[in-house]
Amino acid sequence: MKRYVLRRAALAVPTLFLVSIIVFAMMRLMPGDVATRMVEGHAYAPTLEALRKDLGLDRPIHVQYLDWIGGILLRGDFGHSYWTRQPIWDEFARRFPVTLELAALTILISVVIGIVVGIVSAVRQDTVADYAGRVLAILALSVPYFGLAVLVVVLPSIWFRWTPVWTYVPFSRDPIANLQIMLVPALVFGVTRAGPIMRIMRSALLDVLRQDYIRTAWSKGLGERTVVLRHALKNAMIPVITLVGLQTPLYIGGSVIVESIFRLPGVGLFFFEALTRLDYPVVQSVNLMVAAIVVGLNLLIDLTYAFLDPRIRYH
Amino acid sequence: MVRRGLVTGFCLLLLTLIAAVPPVAAQAAKRGGVLRMAEREAPNLDPHLSVSFLTHCYVSMAYSQLVRFAYGPEQKHASDFTIVPDLAERWEYKNPTTLVFYLRKGVKFHNKPPVNGREVTADDVKYSLERFMAKSGFRARLEPVQAIEVVDKYTVRLTLKEPFAPLLNHLANPVYTAILPREAEAKFKDFNHPDAVIGTGPFVFKSYDKGVRVVWERNPDYFVKGLPHLDGVVLEITPDASARVSLLRAGRVEMMQIFGWSSVEEGKSLQQTNPELVLIPQQVMSQGIIYFRTDQPPFNDVRVRRAVSLAIDRKGWNEALLYGEGCTDAGPVPCAMKEWKLEAASQDPAKAKYLVGYDPAEAKRLLAQAGFAKGFSTPAFHWPGYTPPWRNYYEMTADNLGKIGIQVDLKPEEYGKYISTTYLGKFEKMAIGPVTPFTEVDDWLYGAFYPEQPNNRSNVVDVDLNKMLAAQRRELDPKKRKIIVDDIQRYLADKAYYVYLPNAPQYQTHPPYVKGFKHHDGYGMGYKLMFTWLDK
Repeated sequence: MKRYVLRRAALAVPTLFLVSIIVFAMMRLMPGDVATRMVEGHAYAPTLEALRKDLGLDRPIHVQYLDWIGGILLRGDFGHSYWTRQPIWDEFARRFPVTLELAALTILISVVIGIVVGIVSAVRQDTVADYAGRVLAILALSVPYFGLAVLVVVLPSIWFRWTPVWTYVPFSRDPIANLQIMLVPALVFGVTRAGPIMRIMRSALLDVLRQDYIRTAWSKGLGERTVVLRHALKNAMIPVITLVGLQTPLYIGGSVIVESIFRLPGVGLFFFEALTRLDYPVVQSVNLMVAAIVVGLNLLIDLTYAFLDPRIRYH
Repeated sequence: MVRRGLVTGFCLLLLTLIAAVPPVAAQAAKRGGVLRMAEREAPNLDPHLSVSFLTHCYVSMAYSQLVRFAYGPEQKHASDFTIVPDLAERWEYKNPTTLVFYLRKGVKFHNKPPVNGREVTADDVKYSLERFMAKSGFRARLEPVQAIEVVDKYTVRLTLKEPFAPLLNHLANPVYTAILPREAEAKFKDFNHPDAVIGTGPFVFKSYDKGVRVVWERNPDYFVKGLPHLDGVVLEITPDASARVSLLRAGRVEMMQIFGWSSVEEGKSLQQTNPELVLIPQQVMSQGIIYFRTDQPPFNDVRVRRAVSLAIDRKGWNEALLYGEGCTDAGPVPCAMKEWKLEAASQDPAKAKYLVGYDPAEAKRLLAQAGFAKGFSTPAFHWPGYTPPWRNYYEMTADNLGKIGIQVDLKPEEYGKYISTTYLGKFEKMAIGPVTPFTEVDDWLYGAFYPEQPNNRSNVVDVDLNKMLAAQRRELDPKKRKIIVDDIQRYLADKAYYVYLPNAPQYQTHPPYVKGFKHHDGYGMGYKLMFTWLDK
């Protein structure tokens, strides 16, 4: 097991190294550069050059990369934003709890909706409830979450002069006020993410309900609730849990749009603003940090599987 | 006799008193209340280290300059760039290259550490302007300044390399030449730290919850007595445009956008959902142009450029896209710049038709004369991301030019590439797009037409024009300068170096209880809001 853990952990290093190279290269390959963006229409040529020099963009590309990655590896320094000149790590650490809370609430909402609707749909197969659940699942899969988010913001303001609560308050300061602002974006995001969970839950449960041991349970005269919840659900949940695990990066990636629409001061908004300003160090470092989190989570899931199933650690 | 004299005297006194009372009693400003706005987050708070207009809007709340534009009740219209005193109570030209500023006495910085409300002196002015000239992305604005000297505690002398008429306007343009206290930089390294935002302006920077909100409160020691009227201003940081509109609709903020500004489309929509809102359409300092490589064929031929201009149906565009509220006489000086604008209607019609006229038949004749009887094709570089009605503008251009035989191949570009190449005049043949708003007529003329200037997008080289362009910026007497500027506009009328497109208006939008706010073209949010009050 120890060898397996070490081997898997070592594999994370080249993954993150590749991510760093790809993100760095992609930022430099984007048309225009940050200096141009910073001086925009007032780009007097001498100033532009001076700015490039100030930012260190006049140095060879490999020197810029080594400077950035070296700072992280040797000093734990993720660099400073070109625009705000603030340390990136400080900003990331300050904003991460917001994104984490949004992701947790979203997962909770999507899982609850997905599982409940999936169960009802499967148990009441080919009834009105099943059709309604399937329509809901298709809708959730089809409607982009950012489109739904804009509609939730815009339409109530036109019809009812109402908008969601906007002023972000940390959970530690006022949990109720915090949930008031987090609930609408988490619902919007969670409902759309519940689509695939509903589908998987329904098909997995239907599959399990046709198994012999369920028939045996029925024949023993057990009640529907006991059969479904105690005997069938446990086995049907395995693909659902796998799917939720696979969706984790989507929750973090999706926060970019949701946070910018609902003005939640999380990592997503930080990343979005940096990207629109071509703030190279921020985009690179935040990408790398998020990649490290995703790789870490995947590693954790794999190790958990290995812990639970000894056969895996020998592969 | 004495009695008659007394009666006459009494009558005269009465008349004087009546004359002294304003004819219509203006509503007295109420003090108090907090104004709420929704806007994006400023990338930085240091006025010298940022070229973002958002930064300049944010920190203009807290800083003052040597001089400023007229705002609120002082301004005649939204683009009135009259220079009025700010920290300098007066100034005088000792000779064409020596300008002396005399500072107000007793003006104090905000009462925050490490500055703790000390008095502003000439040293602060020298420090601030020299810092601007060393570090700002706009430092070319003060390039003609050779030396800044402290004459005494309240007097500063600027020595110029040559006479430079736009100087005062650049000093008044918020807020990149803000006067800053050196102690704050010593403590915080720059002025980007929220605690380093210490100025002499109407509002004190109170708190900054990043990504959430910024709070300013009234400066109790502001040197303009009785101002500002508001107790404070809260800016709700709202990156998403539709969310900003929703906040205004729902009454959560009094102003969306930092200018209280909305596009025509947003304004019309708000009029339907919120009929109680004040909506004032205004021409603002902007311009949309078709620009050419006038140093290369086919656009080095004035007949071709004139044909392009005559092919554009400006009135039709205005009706179809701008509800007839736009301005069709948009260049070379923008519609809104009233003090300097020489209207096409008051120019020689034979020349002015190439500025504002629509005559496809004449355009075809001109093309034939230039050797393009069968027309030709040209690319039209542009950035498709500009807000409406820009996408329609590109398509209308292609349509209008197609009717006279010029086949336009629309070439959309990525924003970064567009800004760093096309926008700076590095493109092939033809391009279309808006122009950065400027507050000095020099930028619209010298900047757009003088060789090697980054905003000379049409690559104009015109020896006769150059002399006039240089002369207007050396002429310090506004009346004499206006004569030269008029001559330049007359000269440019039929050259068609740029083809000017109809200019869209904007709406100033807020609830009716917001009083005293007047839109002004520029980024001086603090100055605009110091006259604003809430009637509720």
